[in-house]
Amino acid sequence: MKTLFTLILTLLIISQVKSQDKFLTKTGFVSFFSHSLVEDIKAENNQGLSIIDTKTGEIIIQLLMRSFMFKKALMQEHFNENYIESSTYPKAIFKGRILNYDQLVNEDLVAEIEGVLFVHGKEKEIKITGEMKRDSDELILSGDFMVEVADFDIKIPTIVVNNIAKIVKVSFEFHHTPYK
Amino acid sequence: MKSSYLKIIIGSFLIIIAFIFGINQYNKPHVDVRDSKVNYVFTPKKLVDEYLQNEMATTKKYADQILQIEGDSYSISTLKGNSIITFKDATSESSVICHLQPEENNKILKLKKGQYITVKGICTGYLLDVVMVECVLIDPEI
Repeated sequence: MKTLFTLILTLLIISQVKSQDKFLTKTGFVSFFSHSLVEDIKAENNQGLSIIDTKTGEIIIQLLMRSFMFKKALMQEHFNENYIESSTYPKAIFKGRILNYDQLVNEDLVAEIEGVLFVHGKEKEIKITGEMKRDSDELILSGDFMVEVADFDIKIPTIVVNNIAKIVKVSFEFHHTPYK
Repeated sequence: MKSSYLKIIIGSFLIIIAFIFGINQYNKPHVDVRDSKVNYVFTPKKLVDEYLQNEMATTKKYADQILQIEGDSYSISTLKGNSIITFKDATSESSVICHLQPEENNKILKLKKGQYITVKGICTGYLLDVVMVECVLIDPEI
């Protein structure tokens, strides 16, 4: 059943993106930054998938948690095995809508985005303000927003509770090109 | 008196050992893909097919494992100065996208699109494609 569901979902996404109104990137950049008195922690992911439907303003972003690269191997290990539990929850997904996408013509746009963020098996409605612009063939969406770790039921052991911020900053930059 | 000194010395010694172990763990290096043993060898089609059959089970099996991919390259591109080799079978919409280490940039210049290439790297999972990071070229002729 799960196999069938995955196959149908994949085919559905592929068929949906086959349109001149769809813009896509498979190399989207997403990073998060945690600042605490003990240490700063940063991780970057350059393999984000993002699809925008310019006809409806719908946007879907998917990230593989194991694609986040940390400076320190131990931090990466703890992130995947203890906090995010990447084996059980391998992806983060944002599904939403750019509310004012119809105002994007040739000028830059302050994009107002609303949607649901799925991380670690939990979901949370979020609002993001980003920058959106057209650069020749590209549709670029960038910005940042804050996420509360507790909203996603991520348990931080007491021994390192002071090492990790309760609120982390998430930054993103997606260079979409028309899907052909 | 003698036994208290002994306890202090043993205690201090254990603290120093624990401290050194902690520092080593904190600073331990990332997996060196080039020197690591390959866990599984695939053609791009075989790996993609397995993901399409059961994504969750395949993710559990191969995520964070070192995979070797052998096949004709579909495209060679760059992202922020690093190279990306994509393997794609004509019968599938999905591909295997390999993000290479910066050290591989010089070798990439010698490669051509469509060339048979062997790459190994760390599999991170599947979105619309299988994603591999920290990849290195292992073609003996390069």
